[in-house]
Amino acid sequence: MATSRPPGAKRVMNDSLADLLVVELSCSAAAAFAGRLCADAGARVVLVEPPAGHPLRHEGPFLRDEPNLETSAAHLHINAGKRSVTLDVEADAETLAGLLQRADVFLTDLPAPVLDPLGLSWRALRGSTPALVMTRVTPFGDTGPYRRYAATNLACLALGGQLKITGDPDRPPLSNFGAQAEYQAGLSAFAGTVANVLLRDATGDGEYLDLSVLDVVATNLEHRSPALNLGLVANRAGLSVSATYGVYPCAGGWVHLTAFSPPLWERLKEMTQVSALEDERFATQAARLERNDELQAMLTEWTISKTSDELRALALRGYPLTVAETPERLLRCEQWRDRAFAREVEHPAAGRVTVLGPPWLEEQPAPGRPAPLLGEANGEYLAPLVETRG
Amino acid sequence: MDWRSGRLPLAGLRVVDWCVYWAGPYLGMMLHDLGAEVIKVESPSSWDPVRTVIDVNRYAGEGARPLTPRERSNVNQHFNEWNRGKLSFAVELLEPRGRELFLQLVAKSHIVIENHRPGAKEKLRIGYEECAAVRPDLIYLSLSGFGQTLPERDAMALGAPVELASGLFSLNGYLGDETPAKTGFSYGDPVGALAALSALLLAVRGWRRTGAGRYLDIAMRDTLSFGAGAAFADWSMNGIERPRRGNRHAVYAPQGVYRAHGDDEWVAISVRDDRDWQALGRALGEPDWHRDAELASAAGRRRRHDEIDARLEAWTSQRGARDIEALLQEAGVPAAAVLDFRQLWHDPQLNARGAFQEVEHPAFGAEVRATSQWARGHLPQPIDAPAPCFGQHNRRVLSEVLGLGPDEIAALEREGIVADEIRAGAD
Repeated sequence: MATSRPPGAKRVMNDSLADLLVVELSCSAAAAFAGRLCADAGARVVLVEPPAGHPLRHEGPFLRDEPNLETSAAHLHINAGKRSVTLDVEADAETLAGLLQRADVFLTDLPAPVLDPLGLSWRALRGSTPALVMTRVTPFGDTGPYRRYAATNLACLALGGQLKITGDPDRPPLSNFGAQAEYQAGLSAFAGTVANVLLRDATGDGEYLDLSVLDVVATNLEHRSPALNLGLVANRAGLSVSATYGVYPCAGGWVHLTAFSPPLWERLKEMTQVSALEDERFATQAARLERNDELQAMLTEWTISKTSDELRALALRGYPLTVAETPERLLRCEQWRDRAFAREVEHPAAGRVTVLGPPWLEEQPAPGRPAPLLGEANGEYLAPLVETRG
Repeated sequence: MDWRSGRLPLAGLRVVDWCVYWAGPYLGMMLHDLGAEVIKVESPSSWDPVRTVIDVNRYAGEGARPLTPRERSNVNQHFNEWNRGKLSFAVELLEPRGRELFLQLVAKSHIVIENHRPGAKEKLRIGYEECAAVRPDLIYLSLSGFGQTLPERDAMALGAPVELASGLFSLNGYLGDETPAKTGFSYGDPVGALAALSALLLAVRGWRRTGAGRYLDIAMRDTLSFGAGAAFADWSMNGIERPRRGNRHAVYAPQGVYRAHGDDEWVAISVRDDRDWQALGRALGEPDWHRDAELASAAGRRRRHDEIDARLEAWTSQRGARDIEALLQEAGVPAAAVLDFRQLWHDPQLNARGAFQEVEHPAFGAEVRATSQWARGHLPQPIDAPAPCFGQHNRRVLSEVLGLGPDEIAALEREGIVADEIRAGAD
């Protein structure tokens, strides 16, 4: 096993949040991703699910494609490492309030109009639990004219500007795979929550974060500033921005060439050994853009003559190209084995399943933990509350 | 968090931001938003290439006159977006004296972030070991395509191509297509930056409790794969490659992006359940095709998704995207116009939340900048400063942070160890 870790260097500790009890009341992937990262950082995360199960449990694909609340791939990934309790919150807000009494962090995606009448507003919770850190991540946030809009991941990509620029110019805008608007918001919600935990560590006071998926999507935009300040609006470009910055077919796959600057162009020529690229006609970046199609045809001829493996060997030597990988191949790659990034866990219903993450290198990779069975922690977390109330 | 009172989690921490392009500088900007003092370090011979490589330097204030290298390096609208609020310290890292100043700055800082390739750090000898030697409790974060570990450590991947390496590219694509698809921008950058920020905040918590420094290693590839982790769990259980799904959803049916009236105008519509389906029918005026009993269930709608798409698009293509959005939202159905970037600036929601503010940049003039994503809604963040011009804060850093006197600073300027201009021609 080859590593290049500096001796004595310490990495992220997976007990960074081990002193915290996080209560997650969610119905979307955004809050659920944030909860997953809390669990990765060592917090005890109690996922409060409706009796019918978190919506992610209902989302295929499932083990052997047989619908089953315990074997949805999205649930097994995003809810990994959490504890599950089941509660009809609208019928029994009192039990949730009791649980929150003990909590350090309350992570939710339910909007104020749903939670406030149940006595679970930030103001009410702060009154009884002054040190509570509450993060609410909703499609549009607590304020503004869209705050009551119905929304999905796709709607947030659409209104946030990321959808319009993805896909082919002559076809409709295309969503990328999975729930990417919610994933971005989940990362942001986690970072914002830890930031508020840092404040709480210092002051002892709780904090509230009102995070909007739309805000995150519209902020994470590469070409927004040139558009707003120079009127340069990016359009859908499909696979290729230009001959020196785009995706090419190769034998058995796809590869991205990255040669948009003069030093990278030199490296590209060195890599391909195609003598025609030395021609004066391609000597400057402006000339290369002017003869874009001709250059693209020449580079395509080179890429399709190479296999993905031949190109991977060039990439390892630092040449400016990146080979497309599939989940299948990545799950076998040495880099991930070395980083303990893909962890096999034994799940009581799904069997052996691979769970990725966390998305940082850990000091001492913890064994992966499976997603919980529905309501498996009711006895531990809810029963004492019910008993106390008698 | 409160930006007006200064109750911010990283107040009192100093960050050395030795980063280029998008992911690293964006991380630095978010650290600034959370209260840290962020010093952007570049060299006169080697600056953040975004200043000059990416050709969006049209100067708003002047006519056709070509820009001087100095002007050009200070008006780039990518650079100015991802570096607002920072101090700029331009020191020649190739010079021994410059490297010494860099390490002196590290000794007076808490965090170093960088996204250079391993070779660059080795050549300049400012990697983790050298920095930790002058500041043992330092938090040093490296953000790269594949991580600092072999075998892929030296492979190159910026935020756009890393999507191919992550598996996400292979999973993306139009419905049933053989060809994959790439997200329309450098998606690995913001995702990598947010994951890096997360790890850094965890490390700050550890440092405050125990005083322990950290070396953090973030691979953009891993952060993208993590977001698509369901596909990896699916593969490990089932071993099947799934057909590409385009804009469709595993549960919602129908879901799609439909043509609206106008040139390249589109509207995204999702029917989450049977209730949404009935509401959609009422909003459309109960057309005959909608009354089909088979379509009352999600299973039936999924079977006849193509047919529903054609019916819906016949209706949407006659109407403006914003009108459709308003009509369907009134009925409680998730519908959203597909906005371009200019429309974001006028969007009532983003504006009500204080998403954008104008700031006066010393070289460019008035610029629109995005505010912090954690400061929207009730607490709009006052943008304190625009992005710095190259080397704008050299004297401030040298005197206030490093404690140098005016004569020493003048000598450094004379010798070109620090400069407020990129060395033209070095590009």
